[in-house]
Amino acid sequence: MSFSTKWYYLRETFKSLKRNSLMSIASVSTVALSILVLGLFLTMVLNVNNLAQYLENQVQVTVYMEDSATAVQRRQTEQQLKIMPGVMEVKGVTKEQALANFKKRLREQQKLLDALGEENPFPYSFEIKVDKPERIQQIVPKIEQMPGVETAKFGQEVVEHIFQLTRILRIGGILLIVMLAIATLFIISNTIRLTVFARRREVSIMKYVGATNWFIRWPFLLEGMIMGFVGALVAAVSLFKIYDAVQEKIYATLAFFPLLPSWPFMGYLCAGLVAVGTIIGAAGSGISLRKFLDV
Amino acid sequence: MLIMKHASKIYAGGAKALQDINVHIKPGEFVFLVGPSGAGKSTFIKLISREIELTSGQIFVDGVDVMKLRDDEIPYLRRQLGIVFQDYRLLNDRTAFENVAFAMQVIETPSKKVRERVTEVLNLVGLGDRGDNYPGEMSGGEQQRVAIARAIVNDPLLVIADEPTGNLDPETSMEIMNIFTEINKRGATIIMATHDKTMVDYMRQRVIAIEDGRIVRDEIKGVYGYEL
Repeated sequence: MSFSTKWYYLRETFKSLKRNSLMSIASVSTVALSILVLGLFLTMVLNVNNLAQYLENQVQVTVYMEDSATAVQRRQTEQQLKIMPGVMEVKGVTKEQALANFKKRLREQQKLLDALGEENPFPYSFEIKVDKPERIQQIVPKIEQMPGVETAKFGQEVVEHIFQLTRILRIGGILLIVMLAIATLFIISNTIRLTVFARRREVSIMKYVGATNWFIRWPFLLEGMIMGFVGALVAAVSLFKIYDAVQEKIYATLAFFPLLPSWPFMGYLCAGLVAVGTIIGAAGSGISLRKFLDV
Repeated sequence: MLIMKHASKIYAGGAKALQDINVHIKPGEFVFLVGPSGAGKSTFIKLISREIELTSGQIFVDGVDVMKLRDDEIPYLRRQLGIVFQDYRLLNDRTAFENVAFAMQVIETPSKKVRERVTEVLNLVGLGDRGDNYPGEMSGGEQQRVAIARAIVNDPLLVIADEPTGNLDPETSMEIMNIFTEINKRGATIIMATHDKTMVDYMRQRVIAIEDGRIVRDEIKGVYGYEL
């Protein structure tokens, strides 16, 4: 491809974008909106996924000792817990530590703490880490049989619910992504169809003087790609900003919520979205050109 | 240059546009295609550029079997042809110069060569000073000359003209015909479908008459042969 030809393609592309500027702006905005929705949804799915994984890795059992349990009983329990199959780590938490943790977590709600007065309602406990979540179902009843143990608690139910939610989100997400991609494809192919239609005379003359189909196609493909690229770029930048703002809000109120850090996560997502937008733009114009090139 | 062997074209609706056409046109010939409207002249021309396909038979352009070309080879066939239409088919948002240059850009000619050659061809058709004008600012005859310039700018082997003087007055038609004669003298083969009796009778070139899809007459130095 010679330099003159490349220059010709670029000139034709921008001429056409300018000539149909209103339509181009409309297409770019619609593409931006579709891709933004797509991006928001992906962000949500990936974060829920992350949350589920986080919680799964966090699966730990907390063993609360009876207040009457002696130091000897505690030590015996600790030994027994350590030799149980699948138990990775056993950490004792004293009443004082438990209270301190609680205080740390509440921070601002000082009133709740005041209500406690001098009393420390937290029992002595052990935090146990296990190798697999499935292990918990087996060991919890055994632990509860041990002398001096009041109860053993774990977050299995929560994790299961979250996994169910991720499954639903994933299936719904794939459907939504496919639909949004098709919608975007339609929008771009329609816009290009209009510009090709407006230039069908030019296209037919090009065919008469011996232009190859690719020569005719390139400016339109570039036009579609530019619309897809710009639309996706607008969406990506907005998504980045929205995510940062939401993250700030969430950290202000739910400090322990495990959100994916915006870098590199958002970087990959945005790059992906821009690539998808550009490809959809090219595909959209490719589709609408097929018919017109048949001269 | 152009050979048709038992060429027949039946349109999808069953209309027999051409039946068993046998033609041999040699390089450098000037041929008029005459006959009543609907006789098959336009079909004849569209077949050469493979805008439509034969139902049966063969067409050769400069030895190439047109029907055997793949779709992606058709542009290269058309680069050997210069086509002129009754309605000029110029792009109204481009100047005369740009309209002619367009045909060279499309086949990826370097811009320097485009400038030289377009100037040369515009001079040949007598529009050397009108390059910056838009089609809307030109008369029919001038627009047709731009169209001819575009058709010959890539030095085609075969120039095909479908009623090129159909919209023009006799005087302008004569000027256009003189340009075609000049192009012919420079070596191009010319096939022209026309209803212009005066012109055909005056030129005394080969005349092929088509009626109801069949060749009814093929004369060297022929005349139009129909009463108007």
